[in-house]
Amino acid sequence: MKCVVGIDLGSTTTKALLLTEDGEVLGRGITNSRSSYDVACAVAREEALTAARFAMLEHQLATSFHHDAGRTGNGNGTGGGSGDVNGSRPLETLLQEAFRLELYLDQLGHLRERIGELVESPQHEEWRNALEPAVAEILDGAKSHAPELFLGDAPRKSDFFRDLAGAAFVEGAETIAERGDAPFERLLALYDRAILDVETNLETRSFADLLRRATERIGEGTPGNGNGHLGTDDLARLRRVVDTVAAEPIDELAFVGTGYGRQTLPFPKESIRSEILCHGRGAHRFFPGTRTVLDIGGQDTKAIQVDEHGVVTSFQMNDRCAAGSGRYLGYLADELSLGLHELGPLALQATRKVRVNSTCTVFAGAELRERLALGEKREDILAGLHRAMMLRAMSLLARSGGIENEFTFTGGVCKNPMATKVLRELVDDNYGEAITMNIHPDSIYMGAMGAALFALEDLDAGTAGLLPTFVQEGGTTEAAQEVRA
Amino acid sequence: MSDANPTDRTDRIHLTAGIDPGASSVKIAILKSRAGEAGEMVATTIQRIRRRDVREVVRSAFADACTSAGVTTDDFDYIASTGDGDAVDFGTGHFYSMTTHARGALFLVPEARAGLDVGAMHARAITFDGRGKVGKVRMTSQCASGSGQFVENITRYLGVPLEDVGNLSLESEEPEKCSSICAVLAETDVINMVSRGVKTADILRGIHLSIASKLARLVRAIGAQETVLVTGGMACDAGFLASLRECIDEKQSAEQPDLAVVAHPESILAGAIGAALLGARRHRQLEEMGRLPVIAA
Repeated sequence: MKCVVGIDLGSTTTKALLLTEDGEVLGRGITNSRSSYDVACAVAREEALTAARFAMLEHQLATSFHHDAGRTGNGNGTGGGSGDVNGSRPLETLLQEAFRLELYLDQLGHLRERIGELVESPQHEEWRNALEPAVAEILDGAKSHAPELFLGDAPRKSDFFRDLAGAAFVEGAETIAERGDAPFERLLALYDRAILDVETNLETRSFADLLRRATERIGEGTPGNGNGHLGTDDLARLRRVVDTVAAEPIDELAFVGTGYGRQTLPFPKESIRSEILCHGRGAHRFFPGTRTVLDIGGQDTKAIQVDEHGVVTSFQMNDRCAAGSGRYLGYLADELSLGLHELGPLALQATRKVRVNSTCTVFAGAELRERLALGEKREDILAGLHRAMMLRAMSLLARSGGIENEFTFTGGVCKNPMATKVLRELVDDNYGEAITMNIHPDSIYMGAMGAALFALEDLDAGTAGLLPTFVQEGGTTEAAQEVRA
Repeated sequence: MSDANPTDRTDRIHLTAGIDPGASSVKIAILKSRAGEAGEMVATTIQRIRRRDVREVVRSAFADACTSAGVTTDDFDYIASTGDGDAVDFGTGHFYSMTTHARGALFLVPEARAGLDVGAMHARAITFDGRGKVGKVRMTSQCASGSGQFVENITRYLGVPLEDVGNLSLESEEPEKCSSICAVLAETDVINMVSRGVKTADILRGIHLSIASKLARLVRAIGAQETVLVTGGMACDAGFLASLRECIDEKQSAEQPDLAVVAHPESILAGAIGAALLGARRHRQLEEMGRLPVIAA
């Protein structure tokens, strides 16, 4: 299979999107940005490739298992039979969950190794005897609770290892500190240091290995984890499908990168496009009628006016302040120990919007804590915080020239249902209800989509650039080399 | 408030406590004094709040302080709160943080005539006279860019324990100035620095300098003279202090020659100490009026 890759390295998350030569989306991947841009890009790309393979897998499973009576359970009493697996939840979903779990356990292993090394360093000598058993306890706990995080439609605070492992670590460290066994700050510093190293050290993992382990996990079936048993025949068939999919080559023919801090991106410079170009291009592909774009990303809020060809005519951006950006919500989520995607749904349950006085993100976090202590409801405060944030966006939009029909909302924040609801209300109040507001589920990938479209264009024009550095060391596929030759 | 002559009838020893809940930790000082004069520290406690309920932290920290002082609630003449007084649901009375910081600063460093209180959220510069009467005040407002939280956010990202930050920052040879002013967006700046291979020490010093230059303006704005005592959590951070001295020296002017920036090992307790001392004085005043407070614990 052949594809082109668009990568959008944002301040908070890095997105990758694969397009087939016909311009169809093959896979999307996202990861948290980190201090090694190469690794962030490589991981996002890996995630997109994984998604592409799971799409293939789903297709293959549908054809191999489709006409099978076993899919709904044959009830012949073989300890649950394959019916448990296939009864209500598709095999592909179970595999995906088990795959995520295997990946997480793998990463947890690396984290453990690194923390172990750190504890041995002279800087921790004084505390070593307390830290060693504490760390072991925390990480054992994280490992044994891991299946609950991934299997059986469990809600997760985040999909990023840093967040999941961090939450588990903080929880464990708090318990230990409460008992007085080891100081919380020391433990947390160990984690903070180790995660930095683990995150920026690119591990080469084999998709095939992880998927095979996931297959065996489903095969064994651990009751209570949401998995059942898979019959011997079904397991053999599943193994065959998995092997086929894992072996299917995916050739990446062209790359284009975009995102903030373009100079430092790990891309050859002919393969870099500006963020505005990519967002315009991406938005235009989904909504050709767009005239005003609001993009709220990790640390920027941009109000963009475009003409009928998608060319930018006016542009405003927040400056030097996180208030009103995605990071604002991220910070508040951290304050509440919630996942970013839990904020919006929680705020939607509000019965009133508490007026928030702080502008600064840090102060808003403190105000949130104070109001909680005063007995205000989480959801009501959150509703007020969402409103405060969107009011800032409205003033930015007004400065850029107001909202023209159609209005497209992009960036990570548009995944937040409270943010979109409040925005809709504010747009109605200020510009009337005739404005069409476009939000696409892939809005967070808008920049990556634009980049991938440029990559496709480069490919067609025969000007596809060199592969970015993070791919060069890894396996460069023959087809890709041919194209560049 | 009438300023009674402090040397009058101060033969009795008062046992008082000052409780100073801040944005990130609760500070408690238990002192013996003669109506707020000639104070002597009996016990102190500092507890980080983290994500716990402040009231609970206050109670547990107070219990710790009492234990280490070997006293019970009944032994106190006055339990004073300052800072976030709402977090203290027991005790006798409350004092504004400006007055307590001024009083506490004088207790720690008698020659101090100005204080720069750098806490987790806000920073405040005040001038005061030799008796702790507050003169001029300037605060950071609107945003957390000149605050301790800023440093804490960054150190978490760098994986450096907070207590190691100061000395690490002092090792810096080429401080990397932080371009972002926002405490939250600075994290991204730091990520960029790490990815460019900038040394941790240089990043920390850059952050310290960025905060210090903002706060040096604050100190200058109040017309501080001679000795400035840094109080609040950031006073424990040697890297910040060095940066502040550097920035203040740069801004030295004719009206403010040779400003000495000092910190005291107990600087972080200034508010709590001041509250305990003012509480003792208030106790004596009330005693004279025959309106002694009842401690509700």
